[in-house]
Amino acid sequence: MKKRQWTGLWITLLAIVMVLSACGGGGKDTANNTTAEGSGTEGSSASSTLTIAAATDIESFDPHNNNNTASEAVLVNVFDYLVKNDSQQKKVPALAESWEQVNDTTWRFKLREGVTFHNGDPFTSADVKYTLERVAKDNTLKQNSYFKNIVEVKAVDEHTVDIVTDGPDPLLLNRLSKMGAGMLPAKYIEDKGMDTFLKEPVGTGAYKFSKWTKDDRVVLVKNENYFGGEPKWNEVVFRVIPEASTRVSELLAGGVDVAASIPSTDIARIEGEADKKIVKAPIQRVLQLIFRQTEGSITADPKVREAIDLAIDKQGIVDSIAGGAGIVTRTSVTPGNFGAEPSLYKTSLYDLDKAKQLLKEAGYEEGKAEMTISVSSQYKEQAEVTAAMLEQAGFKINLDVLEPSAFSERYSSKSFKEMFMIGIGNSLFDASNNYNRYMVEEAKGESDYNNPEVEKLLQSALVNMNPESREKEYQQVQQIFAEERPAVYLYQMEGVYGTNDKVNFAPRSDEMFYADEITPAAK
Amino acid sequence: MGKYIVKSLLQVIPVLFIVSLIVFILVRVTGDPVALMLPETATAEDRAVLTQALGLDQPLYTQYVKFLGSAVQGDFGQSFRYGQPALELVLERLPASFELAAAAMFFAVLMAVPLGVISAVKRNTFTDLLISGISVIGKAMPNFWMGIMLILLFSVMLGVLPVSGRGGLSHLILPAFTLGVGLAAQMTRLIRSSMLEILNQDYIRTARSKGLGRMTVIAKHAFRNGLIPVVTIMSLQFTSLIGGTLITETVFSWPGLGQLLVVAVNTHDMAIVQAAVFVIAFIVVIVNIMTDVSYRLLDPRIKYD
Repeated sequence: MKKRQWTGLWITLLAIVMVLSACGGGGKDTANNTTAEGSGTEGSSASSTLTIAAATDIESFDPHNNNNTASEAVLVNVFDYLVKNDSQQKKVPALAESWEQVNDTTWRFKLREGVTFHNGDPFTSADVKYTLERVAKDNTLKQNSYFKNIVEVKAVDEHTVDIVTDGPDPLLLNRLSKMGAGMLPAKYIEDKGMDTFLKEPVGTGAYKFSKWTKDDRVVLVKNENYFGGEPKWNEVVFRVIPEASTRVSELLAGGVDVAASIPSTDIARIEGEADKKIVKAPIQRVLQLIFRQTEGSITADPKVREAIDLAIDKQGIVDSIAGGAGIVTRTSVTPGNFGAEPSLYKTSLYDLDKAKQLLKEAGYEEGKAEMTISVSSQYKEQAEVTAAMLEQAGFKINLDVLEPSAFSERYSSKSFKEMFMIGIGNSLFDASNNYNRYMVEEAKGESDYNNPEVEKLLQSALVNMNPESREKEYQQVQQIFAEERPAVYLYQMEGVYGTNDKVNFAPRSDEMFYADEITPAAK
Repeated sequence: MGKYIVKSLLQVIPVLFIVSLIVFILVRVTGDPVALMLPETATAEDRAVLTQALGLDQPLYTQYVKFLGSAVQGDFGQSFRYGQPALELVLERLPASFELAAAAMFFAVLMAVPLGVISAVKRNTFTDLLISGISVIGKAMPNFWMGIMLILLFSVMLGVLPVSGRGGLSHLILPAFTLGVGLAAQMTRLIRSSMLEILNQDYIRTARSKGLGRMTVIAKHAFRNGLIPVVTIMSLQFTSLIGGTLITETVFSWPGLGQLLVVAVNTHDMAIVQAAVFVIAFIVVIVNIMTDVSYRLLDPRIKYD
């Protein structure tokens, strides 16, 4: 009798399991239903919710106090810039209709009329003044270093502003089209305070803030009064999914339309699904080895640096570690950036025999050229393969893998040994961003690079207001670098995204998610 | 009893003080948040300015005294990352973590109590062996792996449950089950051995010899006493569930305290780390006191002075 009771329990359990499996029988249908539900309303028109999954959350809705691409990728939908980068990184009018240079240190911007913030306040020159002077003057804001050369913003009239810099600044338009230049509502913030603004942010952008659950999702809704016409989606949801395999699963299960940062190991799995695909685009980040050229350092010898360059099979690293998502390059100023030198792009040097030869000529026996490579753990695999390749050429490599925070501390205190591996981005889309570190003052203690000719070119380009000669200056620097190798460039990284067939998505090189550039797929 | 509770509560203060000191020092010797906050192009001067603005240029003891002064007023400083009060951010996350921990506990009890009791009653039979086997597997399976496998099975292949995030009840099932299994395995073993011990005691034999049914004896006499070690393990596990759901919260992108702490550690967000550890320590201490009290309720022989 008692025995039968327990058996009954077991049978019940089994039954539950079987019911669950039975649900699985109609699994495909159920999955599709979830998809539709997850993407908003069903109907004759395409679904009106766009869901994007990224690995990291935004930091806040303060465009001035943010320093990561993931934040800017979301915030560009809420806050507009005066000048916008189109998908080819060309500067196009946004909140400013036109601009001109008044003199070496003053630019005049004509603002678009009839623009309103999400709370109904009109957008005027007072907002530009408030926004830019805040980020230029408050040195505790994370974006301050990009804007501190702005001395003053003068409101000429309601829709005209003069921006005055402390010297000639060929990069002003670049600054005005990046994070930190998102236009804030002066009156709203002055009335309600910054805390209220951060909880209920208001911008002029195509989408309005609706909800932010930290480390979960940011929900934006259509701004019906957008100056650029009616936005395409009713709702845009940015989900935070730090774990890569979960992000991939969400995409496969239909919970998200676009998933960013797909690991190379999952590319084949996504491509194997009928209604999913992988899209890639080069991003603003070049993986590179930066050398120390201090007297007495082994990497001070140009032959050793050349041997290192020739010993590394860059395409091999792209194929084996990055799942093919990379473009080999001999310069870090890639196309789309001001000052790029196309002849050095999409090429690399690899000659193992010559590398061995050079190392001998430099006076090192097999295994005597000992060096340390420091690297942040995020590029651990790339560094391991590089080290193995260098050892093949006769180097002895000590690999120093650091936690990201430990790495950035060593990086800012400039205390690496012979070399470090790092992926460096370029949020200004200008060659100056790549080279300022090689100017004598900045290079002290890091690379100790010192070339008077390069110094002259870089100093001149920094204040040169003539784009043509300025471009030449940077191209010349790149040619010199290709010879002298203060750094060896491995490859330009590519952003790898997974999407479903409900959307058309062409990733941008700046990794922004302008929701309106993502369109519902025609049925 | 009342005296005991008051005494315990007073002991909380030095514990929290020591915890705050250790965390404070650890957070400061392990890295510089300023390096992570500024863009790559920032100069040494920019870093100096920010370091000073955050008060990180002052000697450690000055910083600590300042921290302690504000902390007793409930101010744990501002999060560098979010620019909001750290304690507020931590407390904001508690409901999500509690929800997950409670659901995991529910699953664990649901699985462990019947399995543990059956195992003890059917000692050394095939059923017992089977249950022991299952609980060994449950205990040995890493949360991380199991979470991913469950997602693949129930969300990607069968499409019956959502993959990740916090929403309705359906979002809770997979993460809570993942967390609950390891716990259930542990509890099953414990309930089994505790029940076995009790089933051999004289008063059980007495009850049986009075002619009471087997089920009645197990349910009314043995089970209640068998609960004491279970309550201990439950309380210990509940506190570790609150603070230690890190991996599960990350796998399921569950916006709880664990995920907040992981991000805060990675970004050296000192204020959040301090506030989070403090809050977790506080919960641990309180739950421990509650455990002691519940012993007494379960077994009148246990007395506190």
